Amino acid sequence: MSDITLSVQGLRKVIGKRTIIKDLSFELKRGEVFGFLGPNGAGKTTTIRMLVGLIKPTSGSIHICGLDISKHFTKAMRHLGCIVENPELYPFLSGMDNLRHFAVMISGITQSRIDEVVQLVGMQDRMNDKVSTYSLGMRQRLGIAQALLGKPDVLILDEPTNGLDPSGIREMRSFIRFLAEEEGLTVLVSSHLLHEIQLMCDRVAIVSKGEIVRVDSVEALLSSEERLVWRLDPIDQGKAILRELTAIVNETEESVTTSYIEHEVGGWNRRLVEAGVTVLEMNRRLPALEDLFLELTGGESID
Amino acid sequence: MHSKKVRFLTIFASLACLLWLFGLGWTLKDYLIGKPSSASISPSTDEPVETTEETSVLKIVALGDSLTRGTGDIEGKGYVGYVSDRLKAAGKDISLINLGIKGLTAPLLADQMKEKEVGRQLGQADVIMMTIGGNDLFLGGQTLSDVSEASIRALEDRYLLNLQEILSGIRAVNTEATVYLLGLYNPFSEFENGEQLSEVVRGWNYKAAELLAKDAKTVYVPTYDLFQQNVNELLFTDHFHPNEKGYSRMAERVAALITGAEQGGQP
Amino acid sequence: MINLVQNEMTKLMGKRRFMIIAIIIIVLLSMFTYAQSKEAESILERIGTTDWRTELQQQIVDMQNRLSSAGQWREQFQIQIKQSQYYLDNNINPAQPGAPTFIRGFVQNSAELFLPLLVMIIAVDIVSSERSMGTIKLLLTRPVSRFKILLSKYIALILSVSIVIFLFGSLSYLVSAVMFGNQGWSAPVLTGFSSQGGELDISGVRLVSQWQYIIQQFGLAWFISVVVGTLSFMLSILMRSSAAGMGTMLACLISGAILSNMVSSWESAKYLFMVNLGLMDYVSGSAPPIDGMTLGFSLSVLAVWMLGSLIVSFTVFMRKDIY
Repeated sequence: MSDITLSVQGLRKVIGKRTIIKDLSFELKRGEVFGFLGPNGAGKTTTIRMLVGLIKPTSGSIHICGLDISKHFTKAMRHLGCIVENPELYPFLSGMDNLRHFAVMISGITQSRIDEVVQLVGMQDRMNDKVSTYSLGMRQRLGIAQALLGKPDVLILDEPTNGLDPSGIREMRSFIRFLAEEEGLTVLVSSHLLHEIQLMCDRVAIVSKGEIVRVDSVEALLSSEERLVWRLDPIDQGKAILRELTAIVNETEESVTTSYIEHEVGGWNRRLVEAGVTVLEMNRRLPALEDLFLELTGGESID
Repeated sequence: MHSKKVRFLTIFASLACLLWLFGLGWTLKDYLIGKPSSASISPSTDEPVETTEETSVLKIVALGDSLTRGTGDIEGKGYVGYVSDRLKAAGKDISLINLGIKGLTAPLLADQMKEKEVGRQLGQADVIMMTIGGNDLFLGGQTLSDVSEASIRALEDRYLLNLQEILSGIRAVNTEATVYLLGLYNPFSEFENGEQLSEVVRGWNYKAAELLAKDAKTVYVPTYDLFQQNVNELLFTDHFHPNEKGYSRMAERVAALITGAEQGGQP
Repeated sequence: MINLVQNEMTKLMGKRRFMIIAIIIIVLLSMFTYAQSKEAESILERIGTTDWRTELQQQIVDMQNRLSSAGQWREQFQIQIKQSQYYLDNNINPAQPGAPTFIRGFVQNSAELFLPLLVMIIAVDIVSSERSMGTIKLLLTRPVSRFKILLSKYIALILSVSIVIFLFGSLSYLVSAVMFGNQGWSAPVLTGFSSQGGELDISGVRLVSQWQYIIQQFGLAWFISVVVGTLSFMLSILMRSSAAGMGTMLACLISGAILSNMVSSWESAKYLFMVNLGLMDYVSGSAPPIDGMTLGFSLSVLAVWMLGSLIVSFTVFMRKDIY
């Protein structure tokens, strides 16, 4: 089996006359955490629902571990675990009954496997209580237990930290990292919180208006956008000199921002000094994903 | 994997499902595909037709027309109901069946008596109460416009013939019971030719009483006098049937006769 | 497959559906048995005897008296009078006191509306509740085809209908056996009356024992409930909310009950499912709502409706996008 566990090619969805998803393509590798980032309404949820077979794509293909889900749905789903939106379970059944309910739908799951995943998410104490008595965090954990039952190769989590408290979020984050690094799962996480994605993912796809704007590793995305902030005196002369040398990204009364190009920065500095401009401050800045996002999506608000 | 409870329920439900399917199949077989040939009915004789007589109970059968039914009484009891009320109040244990049918005429009553069950009921009766003839005479008010002697005579002859048949019908199944026939009153006495009609009713009643007199246990109970005065006070808004007051006057008379006969008849 | 069906049963039990239904049945039963015993008392008071012949004769005469003012019920009454007369003439008690007779009457009166209502409680949200709870997303992302999932739900529905009918039967037996005694299982019942154009046809009349009659009645009641259940099942798939499905189905059932009494001149109404739910009436021999309707006809109409709604259910469910 190749390292590609989830492959999406030319995915489109048209509802009525509106094209909701326009030609998405991406591939996920074993052991990576892949972020799906975009504002609400960008098509994240629709895409995820197509990945798990809840919505039928208008065109394009989805392969899970090499199996086309439109042709071999049950075989493909055998390799997939997911939580779509909130972890909705049957509130009137106990946690154990919920897991049993889903376990019998996958062939070859035994009681010991159920106990194993319960152990994994640390829920062994509350399994015989009704789900209606659980907190959101516990439901989230039970939801993950349920998704892990069939030893999936691909785990799809839609907004996994939604509604969790800060410690819950931290816990979830490290758990997801653990699954990818130790268990070798491919995890696809969607979120509208940039900060989340930044901390959790190896690679990110930025989605806007039904299209993937960019797919890259988090570091690459960020480093390509490194900035240098200059404070100069006199500022106007300094600006003129820098404008000749490189593109100015941003300027205020007191400072000028240019892109950071490591092997040229020294030269620029020398030219400024030679022209008699005092460099008060040179500040290299790694931008937050947030800035990047705003830039890439043309100022579309995130929330 | 599933709890025992669920497994039990599922198996149980499947069995129930099979049972109902069987029931449905059986119905289809019986009603749609080749009806069973055992169409002939052998009346079950697991209990004897002659039920054990409850000797202490006075069994009353009421026969006849709307008066027996109680039309006009807002309580729906009619004279039959008031008679039974009075007898119960007097401490009698009674059973009562009211076979009165609205609009019944003497020929129709004669037909009704041919029914097996009616015959059986009459056979068990201790007391039989009857009102019949009102519809034969008044024809729903038609007679009011034609009181010629010839037409009245024709009605009368036919009525008496049928009354005779009814009485002998009763005696054929029951020789012991006392039969009370309530006579006619004239509801139209205050109408234009009311006087004339009153004469007809008196004549009619006379002949009926004469016919009844042939049998010692057949009692003619006059009602004409009850309605002779203040007739409108005693009639229902249809000016034909008695109202509760009228009925209770009739009942008073019949009840008194029944209790009198009972006490006299006791050894 | 068996596992999937058991899953559905687990959920139904978890939702305490059977308990609710049992409680409803018990409440109704106690009301009915009380009413019945009251009625028996009042008859005893009125005619002063427990002889069923006297009682029946009195009933016949009472009906004859109501004939003139019966209006549209006239035909019904006439048939009933003739039927009662036939019982009387053949010396067969149509209402042998005891549990079986009570059950017979109770099923007869419940099959058209009450039992279907109970079944609706289960059927109408068997799919839509998964959607409103959001659990449908988990259910449909398992390595199981949608067809199998829906089929397991449908089988669970059929099993539940069987349980409901069984609960209904056993509870009414228990209560009525306490109230009226256990006798009369082998009492004879006349069946095979048919009525055409307001005339009672007694050529096919025959005698069956009461227990046989009751089993056949329950078979028919089960079928009616399955049909109503299947239709509610379809609504449960087509409609997002259980309440909307419930309302629609209820409107159908009630309009059926009303229509049955007034459609005698609207010939094509006989192809509506709700007019055909009175299967019991064919067996007991009262007049059909529209001339020319027979047991076979009604059964076929219902079967066609059932099949149609199953086809719609499965095609819609298998294609539907879940948002």
